Amino acid sequence: MNPCYFLGSALHTSLGSTLVAQVDALRRPPTPPGTVTVHYADKSQVLPYKLLADCDMEDAAQKLHSVVDKVIDTALESAQLTRSERRAAGLFVGTSSFDISSTEQEYRNDLQHNPAALLMRTHSSQGMLGDLLRRRHGLYGPDFSFNTACTASANALMYADAMIRSGRIQHALVMGIELHNSLTALGFHGLQLLTTSTMKPFDRSRNGLVLGEGCSALVLGPRKSSQHQWHLKGSANLCDTHSVSATNPDGSVVAEVIGAAVNHAALRPQDIAAIKVHGTASLLNDEAEAAGMKRVFSELPPLAAIKPFIGHTLGACGLNELLLFCAAADREFLIATPGIGNNAVEDGDTKLGVSLNQRTCEMLPGNFLMNYFGFGGNNTALVISNVRE
Amino acid sequence: MNKAIQIYASGDHYHQVQETLPDLKELTQQVTGKSFRRIGRFIQLAMIGAARCTQLSVPKNTAVYLSSGRGDLELTVEIMTELFLRSQTPKPLAFVNTVSNAACFYVAQLLGLKSRSNYVCNLHFAFESVLQLAATDLLLGNTTSALVGSIDVVTQPVNDHRQRLKLASDTTVGEGSHWLWLGTSDISKPRLGDLIAAEHFNEKEPLIEWIRQQSPEKLALSFGQHVNTTDQGILRSLITHEQVFDYRVNRAYYDCHSGAAIGEFLRSDCLAQTLLHINADRDGRYSVMLVNR
Repeated sequence: MNPCYFLGSALHTSLGSTLVAQVDALRRPPTPPGTVTVHYADKSQVLPYKLLADCDMEDAAQKLHSVVDKVIDTALESAQLTRSERRAAGLFVGTSSFDISSTEQEYRNDLQHNPAALLMRTHSSQGMLGDLLRRRHGLYGPDFSFNTACTASANALMYADAMIRSGRIQHALVMGIELHNSLTALGFHGLQLLTTSTMKPFDRSRNGLVLGEGCSALVLGPRKSSQHQWHLKGSANLCDTHSVSATNPDGSVVAEVIGAAVNHAALRPQDIAAIKVHGTASLLNDEAEAAGMKRVFSELPPLAAIKPFIGHTLGACGLNELLLFCAAADREFLIATPGIGNNAVEDGDTKLGVSLNQRTCEMLPGNFLMNYFGFGGNNTALVISNVRE
Repeated sequence: MNKAIQIYASGDHYHQVQETLPDLKELTQQVTGKSFRRIGRFIQLAMIGAARCTQLSVPKNTAVYLSSGRGDLELTVEIMTELFLRSQTPKPLAFVNTVSNAACFYVAQLLGLKSRSNYVCNLHFAFESVLQLAATDLLLGNTTSALVGSIDVVTQPVNDHRQRLKLASDTTVGEGSHWLWLGTSDISKPRLGDLIAAEHFNEKEPLIEWIRQQSPEKLALSFGQHVNTTDQGILRSLITHEQVFDYRVNRAYYDCHSGAAIGEFLRSDCLAQTLLHINADRDGRYSVMLVNR
């Protein structure tokens, strides 16, 4: 089976709304998060957040559709699909929160006039966002909305690729969507997983995550020109029943899913040129990821973390982080987080035994591993490649 | 499909809901043989259906594919109401269980599985969507055993539920959990049938062409709840020896009736050997499932 290629993409994160701005920001050290005030009934809570850059819309529904539509339009235009190709394309959305931000806003507004207002008055289906996007952008292929926590858009990409390879569809639009909402923010606050500082994955002083907004789109299909090199070379997904909220800290399941993805790509561990870590900067998850990687790789390739730059964009992180990694690699550099996760130094976390890349360095075409682990025991590893085939 | 996909088992739970929701805790314990704390109806229904389908015995490498039209509405409504009406922030486990794939986790844990798991929602084709994903994985060799299910829950008050779903105030609503166990390897278990096709069509003409290419001698036809009567007439006229298999008769409203079609057919005394199930959306897209027994 021929691989299908990344034909066009777009993304909007806290680093910017254009790829140029975002790649420029990746050359600089990550910055601390801002804050949002979350209002619920008669209370409010100030929480750290990395909100979308270049976007000051307050109306949640308007923000969602404006951001998502622009990202989709840009990706579809850059992929140069014909009208019939676009019409037949499948839609694969990965998100943990769907359009809950606009549902919350609607309910808040309704409650001001009617204390007995009906929650989810207009949107009660997780499938409505996908259906709406599909109709607005003229896609009539099958649509799937993946809701597997932090692996959602990685799984969306994995299945878009599989459905093209199996001949069910020719092209796919893969989306990662995650916008600020009170439920998610307060849920993570309640779990005591948030930090007000820059995220420090694999660092001795790691103390939690920062939530981030992000929206990305990727068009997959048969190669249209020699410019298209990026493709998904292998993938794996594995359910870990150790705990609904954490990966097994011994790294066994992480190792299995990484090993399966590398094997699916018909590669050996030593063929992986770099790893984009999941790196949530929580104590146990980083421990599990470090242990898992060490089980697979006798010598670890360079490790790059992207969450310190854009926050944890949850269901969208699969595609957001992959596209940022590719964008940096296209400019021939590997993302670095100077001073974060440097365990080669005396005060590093020697227990983890892994270190993040500390210096922006040159990166040649190669095979790269992308790690994603989510609540509900969902673990996904992708191997992407820009090696000319 | 080049490789045969076998259907080893099906299992379901369905009930109508009057004004009060039936307690599922005891039934969950009875069917699974285990006691679970702090899980809601969505996860309970997932475990009841999956346990009935598998009789608690499937290969460890069985992948789980779960779908729903609306997900765990009960938990989402409860958490958001507490938050915006009573200033109560989500409790940690309840928040974690809002991820829809939490139900996959509990099913995998119950059955001792270590394989793929995925949750997908779709407004009109929930069950059909995960069946297509499972078939893709089975045909590509990504798995050899797959458990495919759909869940729909009702929230209280039931009249609010009807309003959310835009249903008439006298519509009877229900809850459903429908599962199939599929595979491509020979498992020492008599199979119920074969999945011949699980396909999506962007419009009617290619669907009609595809139906014309299917020529089983005894074909039963069933429809999902979103196919309008005009389309039903057109599609019925294409089938010779046609027999309508109405698995939806007296079934209360919930989103994913399609999840019940294959299991009901395989258990029925319908004379036909083959079932063609067709569902549609408002844009003229179609999804079909074709099974032999």
